[in-house]
Amino acid sequence: MQLSGPRPGLAALAFGAAVSLGSGSSDAQVAELDMSTQVFHEPSASSRMTVYTPEVALSATPYEGFRVSASYQADVVTGASEAVKAGPLLSNVPDIVSRASVQDFRHVASGGVALEREHARLSASYTYGTENDYRSNAISVAAGTDFWQRNTDVELGYSHGFDEVCTLAQRNLPATLRQGLDSSEQCFTPEPRVEALDISLDNFRLAWTQTWTPVLTTQLVFSGGLQHGFLGNPYRQVVIGPSGQAAQENHPDDRRRAAVALGLKYYARGLKTALGAYARAYRDSWEVQSLTTELSLERYLSGWLSLYAHGRAYVQSGASFWSDDYTGGEPSYGPRGQYWSGDRELSPLSTLLAGARLDATWRAAGGGRYGGVLHELRAHLGFDVLKTVLTDFTWAGRRPDDTLVLLPSLGASGTF
Amino acid sequence: MRSRQGPRRQGRGGVGWLVVVLLCAGTALACAPVRPEQRAILADRIMQFGASGRARAALEHALENREGSSGGGAVEGGGCGCN
Repeated sequence: MQLSGPRPGLAALAFGAAVSLGSGSSDAQVAELDMSTQVFHEPSASSRMTVYTPEVALSATPYEGFRVSASYQADVVTGASEAVKAGPLLSNVPDIVSRASVQDFRHVASGGVALEREHARLSASYTYGTENDYRSNAISVAAGTDFWQRNTDVELGYSHGFDEVCTLAQRNLPATLRQGLDSSEQCFTPEPRVEALDISLDNFRLAWTQTWTPVLTTQLVFSGGLQHGFLGNPYRQVVIGPSGQAAQENHPDDRRRAAVALGLKYYARGLKTALGAYARAYRDSWEVQSLTTELSLERYLSGWLSLYAHGRAYVQSGASFWSDDYTGGEPSYGPRGQYWSGDRELSPLSTLLAGARLDATWRAAGGGRYGGVLHELRAHLGFDVLKTVLTDFTWAGRRPDDTLVLLPSLGASGTF
Repeated sequence: MRSRQGPRRQGRGGVGWLVVVLLCAGTALACAPVRPEQRAILADRIMQFGASGRARAALEHALENREGSSGGGAVEGGGCGCN
């Protein structure tokens, strides 16, 4: 895993600093190395989208209450996605929906520091991501405190992202004449054929965690986000004319998002199991509204092995401007305002997720170290299945077959 | 359109006040605190929000690619007062 570009060098520097600080002489030093990978695989005849996401993270506490961390993550993407989206009114036109192969390599490097005192904590981090057609920078800060004998905890977080996306240089054209990007070659070069468009992202978060009894705790989270810039997919085109005329996806330049979520954890002594419940309501300025519910349980199978299992249900409405066919008339099909989208994630849909994970933890007895090195070793093995039910979305009247995702994951970490 | 927005704004205000009242009531109830010696269970990893943060973040990354919503995720740490 090689870092590319000049800015991941900063994260590499932080990584090196973490290692050197972690190997200092202070008694307070603790270092943790975490390696994991997740696979995202759609077993579909048409897309076969597969994403490998390896990640390595290192954190060190060179002094009591001061922690530095660094991480590197990659997304290795192969598969195919729809390059031109059409609706059912053009189902008799051969190959009106075209697909393009996707191969990309996304790198994300991050570095951060955290200060912790008895009743307060502060943290800050910087993240840089790069891929062939997209670059992202994000700065995050968070502050938290606990009070009332640590039964109440409040955390406030903010992050700002300033990203760039590559597209064809065609902003002087009417939206109906703009075409999708055909290739990421020449992106982020002086080549006049392409240009980089800015995207700014602001996210806020307020979390209140409350302990109610020795076996019951809750967490309430408010979050909001502001997005501004080019918010569509630069490659995707949507058929907007009855004769098959297609134009680049055209989304509004602003999106305001808000979510409120309540989580609960209860330990059932009789079952020796931690039960969890989670609910989230979401709404944004594109009129996407959603509700998420999740139930979970986690229990120890032995002193070192625990089992986590969960089930999640999600339902959303479509964006106000989303239509399955922009060529037809109202009310079933047809344009809805000045925007058009081929993004299935903006259509009415629901998802079901189920999964389980085994977590193993081995601690050296008596505060010793395994092999003179490791205080603690942890490993996990997980598997999730995600099914999407698309209410309206079609490929020119045909139901997509890439609606099942398999998500195996594996990871190990050690504390030194 | 405007005539429809008036009652909706009032409704949202009502929900906002309800949330504030619930927060205050919840905080007041919490004044009968759980003592440190009662935290053995709460201190365990399986009772903490965001304890499996990295594995969960990877899953959320996949979900955000298949759903139109985001936000409201669990925040790591806080509330257990384990030390």
